[in-house]
Amino acid sequence: MAAIDPAGKKRLFERLSSVREIVFGVQDGVLTTAGVLCGLSGAVSQHTQVALAALASTAAGALSMAAGAYLGTRAETEVLRAELELVRKDARQKPYVIKEGLLDELCKEGLTREAAYRIVQLLGTSPEALSSTAEAKMFGLAGTMMSNPALDGLVMGVAFLLGALIPLLPYMLIATPRYDLGGALVATAFTLFAVGYFEGWLAHRTDRWRSGTRFLAIAMSAAAAGYLIGLAISPLGATAG
Amino acid sequence: MLKPGDPAPTFDLPCVIDGRIARSSLAKIDSELVLIFFYPRDFSFICPTEVTGFQRALKDFVAEQTFVVGASIDDVDSHLRWAAELGGISYPLIADDGAGLARSYGVFDEKENAALRATFILDRKRTVVFSTACPFNVGRSVSETLRIARALRTGQLCPADWTLGAGTGAIERKF
Repeated sequence: MAAIDPAGKKRLFERLSSVREIVFGVQDGVLTTAGVLCGLSGAVSQHTQVALAALASTAAGALSMAAGAYLGTRAETEVLRAELELVRKDARQKPYVIKEGLLDELCKEGLTREAAYRIVQLLGTSPEALSSTAEAKMFGLAGTMMSNPALDGLVMGVAFLLGALIPLLPYMLIATPRYDLGGALVATAFTLFAVGYFEGWLAHRTDRWRSGTRFLAIAMSAAAAGYLIGLAISPLGATAG
Repeated sequence: MLKPGDPAPTFDLPCVIDGRIARSSLAKIDSELVLIFFYPRDFSFICPTEVTGFQRALKDFVAEQTFVVGASIDDVDSHLRWAAELGGISYPLIADDGAGLARSYGVFDEKENAALRATFILDRKRTVVFSTACPFNVGRSVSETLRIARALRTGQLCPADWTLGAGTGAIERKF
């Protein structure tokens, strides 16, 4: 019989919470930069100006995404911590109410009232076990949901930066017009497909190619829209100049 | 929900008393007052504080010629195991498993599929003389229920927070 390794699974789930930041950061970095390159290439003819603008956009984007992830996680963690504290206070001050609520939840999951009662009675012998089970079952709260804001911010910023460099490097290295943008788009497409494939692999899907293709299709649609918007607004630049 | 002055619906239902299955009939209860308390469910965590609370105060209710009856929509088998879990109950726990009794007293909550924490006291004519209900998450006060039974037994006017031995007014004054 295969043994379950709870500690290993717990570590895996904690690491998986960073996967969200990595996937989001890389995808956003790749797409934003590709979008900027496409949009500016439609509007500005100078290769160097486009590259510099994309670099500036990358720096600003990485800092903004890191700050956003830090602030978002921090707010989420603070709210979660406050809610957990309220539940723990209730468990200490009104154990009967918490026990009744937990009993109802266990009954909803298919246990008989008597079986649920006995389980809650046992849990009640440890206030810690009672409150942690009540948090998870009654309110869907769990201590493991608490992320590290600084780590989330750092991971998001670095992921965005790495993602942004993927279309930017070929664009900067290839000086030939049209081939520069083409190289950037090929690198972007390959990376987006890889991120989708990676996501499918993480989710243990068998159709990882489809997962990669879907990710690529959605992301490239956004990039194409950016390019079209750039083309649409290019006459405004000519008028202003 | 029935209010003071309403005639109490009669019942003749299976119950559990002193660890055995029996029947409880309102018509056969020979007592000055009858206290019927409904509670939501067996195997819960607030209800046992009430059920055992009435058990502890049973002697005081008997001294006031008050017959205590508990009722929930659980069946007799559940009551049997539940009463054993609580260390034995010496007053009838009625098995109102069709919720007919709770409905006739107007205390059945369809959404929760349980009876409210409602308390009724009936006089010798089996007319409701006291009724109250608590929300599901708040247990009722056994001592307050006993105070009401004692006040009713005086047959006099009892002021707010009246307690046993305190002065009463002549009943002819009505209010």
